[in-house]
Amino acid sequence: MEYMTSLFSVALLASAIRVTMPILLASLGAVHAERGGVVNIGLEGIMIMGTFFGAVGAYAFDTRFPSLAQTWPNLAPLAGVLAAVAAGLLFGLIHALVTITFRVDQIISGVALNLLAGGLARFLNILLFEKATQSPGVRGFTPIDIPLLRDLPALRPLVTGVSPMIITGVVLVAVSQWVLRRTRFGLRLRAVGEYPLAADTLGVNVYHLRYAGVLLSGALAGMAGAYLAIEQARLYFEGMTQGRGFIALAAMIFGNWWPVGALGASALFGYFDALSLRVVRLPVPYQFINVLPHIVTILVLAGFVRRARMPAADGVPYTKEEE
Amino acid sequence: MKHRLLVLQMATPVLAILFGMLSASVIILAIGRNPLDVYAVMVRFNLTRTDSLFSILFKTTPLIFAGLAVALSFRVSLFNIGVEGQYYIGAFCAALVGFSLRGLPAVLHLPLALLAAAGGAMVWALVPIVLKLRRGAHEVITTIMMNYIASALLLYLINDVFRDPTQIGTPRVRTPLVAAAARVPSLGPLLAPLGLHGSDVEKLNLLLPVGIVIAVVLAYFLSRTRFGYEVRAVAFNPLAAEAAGIPNARVQFGMFMLSAGIAGLVGLNDILGFFGYLDIDFPKGLGFLGISVALLAKNNPLGVIPAALLFGFLDRGAAGVQFFARVPKEIIVILQALIILAIVVAYELLTRYVRTQRKREAELPVTATPAAEATGR
Repeated sequence: MEYMTSLFSVALLASAIRVTMPILLASLGAVHAERGGVVNIGLEGIMIMGTFFGAVGAYAFDTRFPSLAQTWPNLAPLAGVLAAVAAGLLFGLIHALVTITFRVDQIISGVALNLLAGGLARFLNILLFEKATQSPGVRGFTPIDIPLLRDLPALRPLVTGVSPMIITGVVLVAVSQWVLRRTRFGLRLRAVGEYPLAADTLGVNVYHLRYAGVLLSGALAGMAGAYLAIEQARLYFEGMTQGRGFIALAAMIFGNWWPVGALGASALFGYFDALSLRVVRLPVPYQFINVLPHIVTILVLAGFVRRARMPAADGVPYTKEEE
Repeated sequence: MKHRLLVLQMATPVLAILFGMLSASVIILAIGRNPLDVYAVMVRFNLTRTDSLFSILFKTTPLIFAGLAVALSFRVSLFNIGVEGQYYIGAFCAALVGFSLRGLPAVLHLPLALLAAAGGAMVWALVPIVLKLRRGAHEVITTIMMNYIASALLLYLINDVFRDPTQIGTPRVRTPLVAAAARVPSLGPLLAPLGLHGSDVEKLNLLLPVGIVIAVVLAYFLSRTRFGYEVRAVAFNPLAAEAAGIPNARVQFGMFMLSAGIAGLVGLNDILGFFGYLDIDFPKGLGFLGISVALLAKNNPLGVIPAALLFGFLDRGAAGVQFFARVPKEIIVILQALIILAIVVAYELLTRYVRTQRKREAELPVTATPAAEATGR
């Protein structure tokens, strides 16, 4: 029974919050793409690009501008995040071009992006660091203690030493929720994902909005990768995303295609992820603990997906000309 | 008109491959190398050495099975991204039957191992397909998750349960050796009278002709039998098929099981045909290559054979490029991904072109109508 208490320790929760972040960021990206009607299964590959370029960006800034990086220690990780977002945008652009302009099957484009990312990361890593699977170490952001809350002893592990990216992620959830519910852009994006023909007849440019949704998903998944490399592992290594891009898609579905829902669902996955990362004494071989999040993903998809309602035109390419 | 379309259809994959090579050239140029040199090295390495030729055929064999498996699921609008995990399980089941049974004659032992591989993979594939048909869980994500779980399960089984006791203390983590009766016979003895010898010739095994035969049988099955007709009906118009009394779910289930059964055989070329044991470093990623092969073949079982050959060619070429052109062999993985993107875009553009041509002809006076019909699907 000893392991039961370890399942709910504050330290585990703190770790769960940390590992929730990459899933949450990618899941937010998925929400934007699919609200506009484009399935982006390439999130996993975009995350891989994010981990790689996140580490490369941070490392390059550190070695190129050592004095700047000394004076402002947050600049190097920031450069990493920006590089990761740029790479994510580029991959998002490819996905948008292939699926929106050329109307190729969205799943196939995503699968190809995942293959491309895996090959590209290895290839570039060999060229830059002369080995295939790992980058040099990088520095992360300076952690923050949240004012007021940090004085409560019970919460200390949760609110001290928090990554600024975690705070950014939580803010992004609120902003995305507001954008999708209240702003002109958000409502139009949703219209394009629900009923593109109607949106089109009202003068909304379906293609532009879908591009915007997919580009946002690329940027957010890139950031998710950057978080993994810069804040969590402090380096890039091959396979570090471990399918979190796909898990993020499940979190989006579980969260009913809403940012706040994605937060809740990502937290669930984050919890199981934290369990699999920490040495919790469970009476099961470690190989199975590693796949806990994957098993939970299947259960979630099987059990709850029916209650959700996806955008009506999700995954359906839109053709402007009458056919 | 009809001839021009035929030429266009043949030219599309070629153009797409060229476009993929062109895009990869940008990357090669960016690292300061001459793409023409790199491709020349690859072609020379692949075509002028007999060991390369046989190595290509060896690498083609599992890709035929993987391509067929993916193509079968695509034919009924299902994405079996789980071929990867299914062949891990298949490889393990075959190895298990191979090393735990002793004294059986080869006529019994080998078929038993093949059946175990196909059966194990089918059982593994039951999870995503049942969840899809019963609960609406999207098979793309569930099959991908099953891949991760299969990988973990295999590590556990090889490392903790079935590890060869004679290998403990060595860095080799593998199962015991498979009985000789369960090994797939090599084609070496057949090729020896033709003056072909060497380890690369020996590696070729019976699974290559078996894969080709399965492709031919499937092509016949899909185009000439009643079930094949039902498959096409479900693919073209599920609602109409259902109305005509064809149970969509059952056809999809049947095809997914067939897909998984063939997926189970993907790993056997290496496990039963070459190594004779399953270790934790067995070849991975063949299931994902199968997706590329199926796309290139447009899900046509006969098209899978040349498509697999191309990817086998690229795979072997990677070694030459790395060794002789000193470009990391990962450039070939990038090239493969770019080829898929180019292929699917090219096929889409071709379909669009055919459609507008047909529309234009339909608008012309009566004389054009037969031609328009001839180009119809």
